[in-house]
Amino acid sequence: MELFTPDFGLVFWMFIAFILLFFILAKWGWPVIIKQMEGRADAIDKGVEYAREAKEQLDHARESAREVIGEAQAQQAEMLREAAKMKSQIIEDAKKEASEEARKVMEAAKVSIEQSRKEAELQFRNEVSKFSIDIAEKMVRNQLRNDEDQKKLVDKMLDEIEKN
Amino acid sequence: MTKKYAILLFLAAILAFPLRSYANEEEGKVDVKENLFHHLGDGYGWEVPFSHTYRIPLPVIVRAEDGSWHCFSSARLSEYEEVTDAATGKTHTVAVPRIVTLGKEGSADTYRFVLAHASKHKDKVVQLLPTSAAEEEDAIKTAAAGNDEIVDGYVKFDGRYYKEYKPFDISITKNVLALFIAAALVTWMVMGLVRFYTRKGFKAPRKGMGFLELIVDFIYTGVIKSTLGSKAPKFAPYLLTAFFFILVMNLLGLIVIFPGGANLTGNISITLVLAVFTFVLTNINGNKHYWKEIFWPDVPLLLKFPIPIMQIIEVFGMFTKPAALCVRLFANMMGGHMIVITLTLLIFIFAAFGSVAAGASSVVSILFSVFMLALDVLVSFIQAYVFTLLSTIFISMAVHEEHEHEEAKEAAA
Repeated sequence: MELFTPDFGLVFWMFIAFILLFFILAKWGWPVIIKQMEGRADAIDKGVEYAREAKEQLDHARESAREVIGEAQAQQAEMLREAAKMKSQIIEDAKKEASEEARKVMEAAKVSIEQSRKEAELQFRNEVSKFSIDIAEKMVRNQLRNDEDQKKLVDKMLDEIEKN
Repeated sequence: MTKKYAILLFLAAILAFPLRSYANEEEGKVDVKENLFHHLGDGYGWEVPFSHTYRIPLPVIVRAEDGSWHCFSSARLSEYEEVTDAATGKTHTVAVPRIVTLGKEGSADTYRFVLAHASKHKDKVVQLLPTSAAEEEDAIKTAAAGNDEIVDGYVKFDGRYYKEYKPFDISITKNVLALFIAAALVTWMVMGLVRFYTRKGFKAPRKGMGFLELIVDFIYTGVIKSTLGSKAPKFAPYLLTAFFFILVMNLLGLIVIFPGGANLTGNISITLVLAVFTFVLTNINGNKHYWKEIFWPDVPLLLKFPIPIMQIIEVFGMFTKPAALCVRLFANMMGGHMIVITLTLLIFIFAAFGSVAAGASSVVSILFSVFMLALDVLVSFIQAYVFTLLSTIFISMAVHEEHEHEEAKEAAA
């Protein structure tokens, strides 16, 4: 039967057609398609990987940013606290110094007042003694206008010296 | 619902009428076997729809007995005759074979060819050799003795016996042309995709080309790469070419009019060539391990030493594997075609029982035919896939290294 026995002509042409088709497609067809498909698959894989990495990096960056911000905030708080401490210290110091200064000034003032008072006292004493001498002189002059009085006095003085 | 039934009835009526008249013309006799094998087989011309006689002429290329090559149109192999039916008085045209004479009539280098009918080489072009009266006498005697008009070495034509010579025949027959069309179609499809790539760079193809790429990927990644691994690029061109060629031939075979209709993959010549390619590729690439498995397999010594039982089985297996490939594809495709043609022929057989039977059988036959054709589309794909898959497995068994082989076995277990 024709169907079950290979026909030479058909085998011959099939051989030629298949070989030709094979060489054409093996040279210009399949390698290009396979390379393209695999290339595209790789590109997609790479893209996905890249996106995943980028997301990871973004997450990471967010994390680190948060960390940095936290650190900065902590630092800021620290600095504020330090500043406050320093402020109070300075105030304290200033107060202390001021009181010291004030004390010194007061001391100096006291000394000078004492000095002035002493000087004034001395001067006053001198004045008083001068006045008293003057007064005494005037009184004496007054009392000693007559000779009797003068004699009485001299007597008295002499009595006194004698007693001594 | 009623509309659907109306359409169905209308179709049945249309289908039944011409068939009935045709059947009447042929006096209700339908040679089922003849019709079946005519449609499944090859031919020197290509049938066209709506004509029983006209064939698209194709070149006949033959090598005569003396070694000279001849080429002529297949249209010259037959002539048309008006035949009047004695019973009905209707006339119709039939094609009858005639002798093609090349060269000057009567001179020494005259070559006469005819499409043999009553000969061992039925439906093939044979060369008629000069026959003496004594030789013809002999042939007639042999025919009478054997009670058979076919005599070995002779062709009966127009009541006369001629000595015949079966020429070396590489005609572009219907199947050969269909083969070229299929090859051209595959080339066009694949190169179209390649052109798309060179033009559009890394863009992914859409629609038809996307579908083509999907199938390429399905075969390449799903079958070839997963089985052959790192050796895939080496064998992929052959396997992909085989797959697409078979697929296109299968599908073209299902189309009933001109560019299709040739029963290519249901022809053993085609599948034989494909199987031989797989066989050659498997064996020239077979590594040490592959040949060791054949000539010194890991079996008890007695099975292979004094009498080489295993070797005989293995060598036999080398040939049965591609033979199974060849027969599987051939039988599946031919079976599909055969069922569809038989279902169609049922209409003609039932037409003899009157118009009611013809109409009813038309509807049933056509429904079944459509179903079978739809199934054949699936079978076309499956058979191309199976051929490629098995070829890949045979090649992978021949080229795999031992440890890979073990791994594959373990994976299978």
